[in-house]
Amino acid sequence: MSEARPWIINPFDEIAIEEALRIRERGEAREVVGVTIAPSAAEEQIRAALAMGLDRALRVDDRRELDPYAVARILLAVVRQEKPDLVLMGKQAVDDDANQVGQMLAGLLNWPQATFVSKIEFLNGGQRAQCTRETDRGLEVIAVNLPAVVTTDLRLNEPRYVSLPGLMKARRRPIELLTCQQLAVEVQPRTTVAATSPAPRRSAGLKVESVEDLLVRLRQHEKVL
Amino acid sequence: MIQTLVILEHDGHCVKRASLSAVALARQLGGSYALGVLGSGVAEIADSVRSFGASVVLVADHPALAEPRADCYAAVIAETARQRGASTVVGTSSTFTKDILPRVAALLDAPMLSDVMAVEIKDGVPCYQRPLSAGSLCATVKLQGDVRVLTARGTAFHPPSPNGAPSPVEPIAFDAASLPNGTQFVSRERSTSTRPDLTEARVVVSGGRPLKDKETFERLIGGLADALGGAVGATRAAVDAGMAPNACQVGQTGTVVAPELYIAVGVSGAIQHLAGIQDSRVIVAINRDPDAPIFQMANYGLVGDLHALVPRLIEAVRA
Amino acid sequence: MDFTWSKEQTELLDAVQRFASQRLKANVIESDRNDCFNLEDWKACGQFGIQGLPAPVEYGGLGMDALTTVGALERLGYACKDNGLLFSINAHLWTVVMPLITAGTEQQKRKYLPGLCNGTLIGANAMSEPNSGSDAFSLSTTAQKAGAKYVLNGSKTFVTNGPVGDLFAVYATVDKSKGAHGVSGFLVERNTPGLVIARKLEKMGLRTSPMAELYLEDCEVPAENLLGTEGGGSFLFTRSMTWERGCILASAVGSMQRLLETCVRYANTRKQFGQPIGKFQHVAGKIVDMKLRLETCRLLLYRGAWLRTQGKSGFLEASLAKLHISDCWVKTCEDALQIHGGYGYMVEYEIERELRDALGSRLYSGTSEIQRNLIASLLGL
Repeated sequence: MSEARPWIINPFDEIAIEEALRIRERGEAREVVGVTIAPSAAEEQIRAALAMGLDRALRVDDRRELDPYAVARILLAVVRQEKPDLVLMGKQAVDDDANQVGQMLAGLLNWPQATFVSKIEFLNGGQRAQCTRETDRGLEVIAVNLPAVVTTDLRLNEPRYVSLPGLMKARRRPIELLTCQQLAVEVQPRTTVAATSPAPRRSAGLKVESVEDLLVRLRQHEKVL
Repeated sequence: MIQTLVILEHDGHCVKRASLSAVALARQLGGSYALGVLGSGVAEIADSVRSFGASVVLVADHPALAEPRADCYAAVIAETARQRGASTVVGTSSTFTKDILPRVAALLDAPMLSDVMAVEIKDGVPCYQRPLSAGSLCATVKLQGDVRVLTARGTAFHPPSPNGAPSPVEPIAFDAASLPNGTQFVSRERSTSTRPDLTEARVVVSGGRPLKDKETFERLIGGLADALGGAVGATRAAVDAGMAPNACQVGQTGTVVAPELYIAVGVSGAIQHLAGIQDSRVIVAINRDPDAPIFQMANYGLVGDLHALVPRLIEAVRA
Repeated sequence: MDFTWSKEQTELLDAVQRFASQRLKANVIESDRNDCFNLEDWKACGQFGIQGLPAPVEYGGLGMDALTTVGALERLGYACKDNGLLFSINAHLWTVVMPLITAGTEQQKRKYLPGLCNGTLIGANAMSEPNSGSDAFSLSTTAQKAGAKYVLNGSKTFVTNGPVGDLFAVYATVDKSKGAHGVSGFLVERNTPGLVIARKLEKMGLRTSPMAELYLEDCEVPAENLLGTEGGGSFLFTRSMTWERGCILASAVGSMQRLLETCVRYANTRKQFGQPIGKFQHVAGKIVDMKLRLETCRLLLYRGAWLRTQGKSGFLEASLAKLHISDCWVKTCEDALQIHGGYGYMVEYEIERELRDALGSRLYSGTSEIQRNLIASLLGL
């Protein structure tokens, strides 16, 4: 059974939340705390996360478009305040390319990191986490000393569905509010999107009638075989 | 002093060809660039990249770096960038660079941009283009600050051909004893496949859920890939169903490919999958459903039962 | 008169709709064709809390008032196309859960409600018999007191959830000469010796809701499983009917909303003679009527439920709602079918199934004719 301190997850991603809940349900964690950086409109999602079973929920009030590094810096301040043993996060909400915040946070904290994790097990009485990572070279297994940052792969688990009783209980639970000012962190976005344009699209080609027809076209017209 | 530090990826034996795409990006950024090779017993690998026009090939060769542990690699890379005064650190987008380079960016207090597809220098300021919304949009982005970290989308940059005077090779000075020691490497799944790497293959054959099970997937998709000397890919649904390993996943959250020929078998064409193949030269789709979205972007479409068509195709290719 | 849902209600109703649209995605065409009950989806609903909507929190329910309950069921009907599943859930709620709440002993409530509320126990209703349908209280199943138990004998038909039921609400008479005042309700557990779940019945619609015949052959039921009082069965039945009639077609209202939206979409995209068919008055007129029906049904549904939240019985309003919504649902399905032309007749468009499902609504919980008789008598005729 791991020593006292709370776990944090960010941002609200169901897979990371689910994993944290399972860790707590196995008795390997005492508390699961969720953090999100968002304007007040996000409170509905935060309530849904509370309904899944978070012990506490924190919201850092910020309505700006933040780049991953800015998010990591804010989380750094929260982590320093909350002192968790493990930070779990899933798909990044801000950047659809995903998975920069966790690594950046780990770098700022100088904590070990395990990314794209599809399985976590705790060793040595909760002092290390053995993680299976999904890489483009195949599965890799590493062990990281805690405290550590872990980012989850989509295959880590299947999140539980929020139930109505959970939602009703969550309604009475408070969401703790924080500001960058309180956390003494100042971030400025350093990425500017100058323009967006539609990407060139491929158009539909033609339907072939048979395997033979296809091969003729690939061999003779496209010269690709 | 060098402008750009390019981090190369290798498997212990040779450099991953796709990682050389980052060299093309470094060239477009202008100025001098160095290639960085980290690992243990990598002298030959360092040698193999001496003819790519770098000012220098920097090597960190030490048993502590035998495996790409992110905390150690990031520390060495960041230190190297500082020592050499590099203002940009680049690598080709892969799970290796996605794991390590953001951490490097944090250590250098630098913004990071991933999957850069093109760069234009306007009034001395680089404008980077990268995809958004599963590849349906293209964003032009500028970064502030003196230092930046980028990953290049491998399919958008042609790896350069080796030529020119050989670059000198220099060791990177770092203190192995002060490297972080919080991560231990345990094991890696060894692929026994003789098939080409997804990012390097000229032909990729992918399968989706309709392949039913692992045996059928290997027989039909593996069979066709082998007949064509190609690599095997899979949709996320097929990987989730256990038909193919995760390393085969093609798409927005998997590997982005742009082969000469991409054959999609039983793939409906979910937008996340299409995002991973849109730069292929020729796309062929085989599907039972004539209204499957993939036919909207395939050069050639064959409507029918894949269980009958693929064996015929394999036979015809072999003939 | 405030017609708005509160912030809490909206949150809850939105959650129900989200749950149904994300989680209840079974292939209903196939289940309907094969006469299959979707136990997976039943369990998902149970875990989510549907089967315990109106039950008190201390027994595992959600303690929702009548109005929020019908709102939730309406959203379910909108987002879930499996009318049979919803029918089974309703039967479970109004024929077993609700009578237990209103007339059950503390012991009975503690024993059965938690399982009923989370869906692990499926409730089934055994009232109708081969010779007593509308004339419910003329039933012939007998219950003979014998010491600390009752011995039941008879046969029941149209037992919704019969094939899968864990707890049956069985109505029998302790004294046929007393007519309605002899009827008593009993809670009978599935594996009780003498409770024989017989032939599965194949229906025209609501085929994913399983239904069977039942035989009671010297079925011994412990006295503590008497529901309510001896001879108080008809009172119990009538009281639970208010809830049943007032709520059972809430999901139909959601279904009608979905059909309306489907028809508007179709009428705007389907072109014939060079224009969208929605431009033709005959088509537009039908859709307008669908909207009109939807709104009147909704108002009747909500008002009846609201009366119950005010502690009023709402018996008349429940009957009006049941009568009106069933007629409107059938008519709306017919219109939707007609608007879709030949496609509406095709199984894959799922409209013909809606019509088959809707037709049952004029029969259960008291036929439309019975509702009219009731309302007439309440009007003093």
